Amino acid sequence: MERVADGVVTESAMGFFTDVTLCIGCKACEVACKQWNQLPSDGYALTGNSYDNTSRLSSTTWRHVAFVEQMDREVPAASRWMMMSDVCKHCTNAGCLEACPTGAIVRNEFDDVYVQPDVCNGCGYCVPSCPFGVVAVQQNTGVAQKCTLCYDRQKDGMEPACAKSCPTDSILFGRVDELRVKAEARVANLRAQGKDVRLYGVDGEETRNVGPLNAFFLIPDRPEVFNLPPKPVLPSRFQPAAYTAGLLAALAMTAVGIGVFRGFGERA
Amino acid sequence: MDTEKPSQPHGANYGAAGNFSPDAVAASMQRGDGGFGRDQETYFDHPILRKAHWRWEIITYFFVGGAAAASAALAAFADLYGEERDAELVRNGRYTALAGSLVSAALLVKDLGRPERFLNMLRIFKLKSPMSVGVYALVSFSTVAGFAALDQARADGIIGWNPFGWFPKRVRIGILAVSAAFMACYTGVLLSATAIPVWYTGRRHIPPIFVLSGVSTACAAQNALLALFGGSPRTAKKVETIALIASLAEAALLLDWERRAGDAATPVFTGKRGSRLKTYTLGLGIALPALLNLSSVLSRKTPEKHHRLRTILTSSLALFGGYVLRETVVYAGRDSADDPRAYLRHPE
Repeated sequence: MERVADGVVTESAMGFFTDVTLCIGCKACEVACKQWNQLPSDGYALTGNSYDNTSRLSSTTWRHVAFVEQMDREVPAASRWMMMSDVCKHCTNAGCLEACPTGAIVRNEFDDVYVQPDVCNGCGYCVPSCPFGVVAVQQNTGVAQKCTLCYDRQKDGMEPACAKSCPTDSILFGRVDELRVKAEARVANLRAQGKDVRLYGVDGEETRNVGPLNAFFLIPDRPEVFNLPPKPVLPSRFQPAAYTAGLLAALAMTAVGIGVFRGFGERA
Repeated sequence: MDTEKPSQPHGANYGAAGNFSPDAVAASMQRGDGGFGRDQETYFDHPILRKAHWRWEIITYFFVGGAAAASAALAAFADLYGEERDAELVRNGRYTALAGSLVSAALLVKDLGRPERFLNMLRIFKLKSPMSVGVYALVSFSTVAGFAALDQARADGIIGWNPFGWFPKRVRIGILAVSAAFMACYTGVLLSATAIPVWYTGRRHIPPIFVLSGVSTACAAQNALLALFGGSPRTAKKVETIALIASLAEAALLLDWERRAGDAATPVFTGKRGSRLKTYTLGLGIALPALLNLSSVLSRKTPEKHHRLRTILTSSLALFGGYVLRETVVYAGRDSADDPRAYLRHPE
C-alpha cells in the first residue's frame, strides 16, 4: 500500500488493529509496554473507576486499558463491561508532528509517528496540539514521550510488545492494509450476529481532519464512551484564520502609528 | 511541568459510570438506573485532551514579547515620521525593545524541558508550526533590535564604535517591521493552532487581541519612561493617542469574542478568572486609563509638563491588565482541556 503522509511515501504502513470486543482487561499490554520501554511506575493510586487505575495515556503509560461499565437494571442480561486498550493513533496528519519546532517528531520508515528523544527539547507544544491527548512531556527526562509503535522491535522484525503479549489477539499488529481487511471481516461477522459495532479510524467522520489512523479500533459503542473524540481536530487548519486576523491587526496599528506621528507633525 | 501522575478523577464515583453532570444525573434519576445508563457522554469525565504545561514563564514571555515588538515599532514610527523632540521616545523604544527581546529569549529557554537544547529549534524552519515561526521571529527581532540599540548607544556616546554600523538602516527597518508584526501576533496564533477548544474557537480573536494588547502595553511602558526621564509632553500625547485607539479596539474585540463564542469561551469570561479579566484588564487596565487619557488626547492644547503621578498610575494599571489578559487566556486553556464535554460540543 502506498500512502502519502507529510510528504513521505511508504510502501507498507505498519499499525495496530485493536478489537474492543476481544479485550478481557488483563492489562498485559500495559505491563509489557512498560517493561520493554523501561517506563517508570505511575504509583499506586486507586481511582475507584472500575478497574482502571491509570486513567489515561501519559508520558509513561503508552498503552492504557479503559474499563467501561454499562449496567442495565431493567434488563440485567443487557449489561456489559467493555475493555479497550488505547494507544497513540499514529495519525496520517499528525497534529504533534506538525507542531514540533525541532523536527524531533518524525514519520519513520514504518509510517509511524516517532519522537526522537535525543532531539526533543521539551518545548511541550506537541502536547496541546495532539487531538487525542496522547503525547506528554515527562518530568524526569524533560522530553515529550508517547508510543513509538516499538520502533526498536520493528527494526528487528519483531512485533510490538503489547501485541506480542495480548492473550486474546485483541491487539493485532501488521500491515495496515491487511489489518483493515481483517477488521472489515470481523465487523461483518459481528454484525451478522446482530451486534452493533463500528471501526474507529478507518474511514469514518473521525478521519476527516486527521486522516486514517495507523492504530485503529473496533468499538461497540460511540467513540466518546471510550474517551475517543468523535471529531478530532487538526490544529494546523486553524492557522490561516489566526494569522490573517493577527497580521491585519498589526497592519492596522502600523497605519494608526504612522498616521498619529505624521498627523501631529503636520499640525505643528 | 505537567506532573505525570494519573489524573485524579472528579470524586470517587465508583459504579456511577462518571455521568456526574446535572443533566446526566437528572436523566439517570428518571430512568431509575442509578447512573448505569447506556447514554454515557464521557469516560468517567476524564479529559480527552492534554493541557499545555505553560506557566508564568510563558505568560510573561507573551506579555514582554508583545510589548517589546510594539515598543520597537513605536521607536521606528517616531524615528521615521516624528519630530526632533520625539528623540527621547526613539531612544527609550530602542533600548526597551532590546531588553524585552533578551528577557523573552531567556524566559523561552527557561520554560523548555531541556533548556540546553534550545538551539535544536534552529535546525529546521517549519511554516506549519507557529512555535517554529515564532522562534525565528524572536531571533530576527532580537538581532535587528540589537542593531538599533547599538546605533542608539553610538549616538548617545555610550559606545565609541558600532561593530554593526555598516548594516543598512533600510534593511534593518524592513526586517524589524516583519519580525515585530510576527512577534506581536504569533503568540495568539500559537494558542489558536492547538486542539484546545477555547483557543481554537477563539482563533479570529486571540491573535488580534494579543497584538492590540502588545501595542497598548508598549504605549503604557513608553509613556511611563517619558514621564520619568523627561521626554516631551507632545510625544507623550502621541503615544497616548495610539494607546487609546489600541486599547479601545482591544476591549471591543474582547467583548465581541465573548458574544460570538458563547459557551465555548466560558473558561475565559466566567467564574473567578472571568471576573479577574473584567476587573483588571477591561476595567482598570483599559477603561480607567482610557477615561483619564481621553481629555488630554482630545484637548487641542499640549500640556506644558507631564502629569507624572497620573501617567505612572495609568501605565501600571494598563501593564498589569495586559499581563492578566495573557494569564487568563493561557490558564483558560487548562480548564478547556480538562473538560471533555467542551471538545465534544465544539468540534471546530
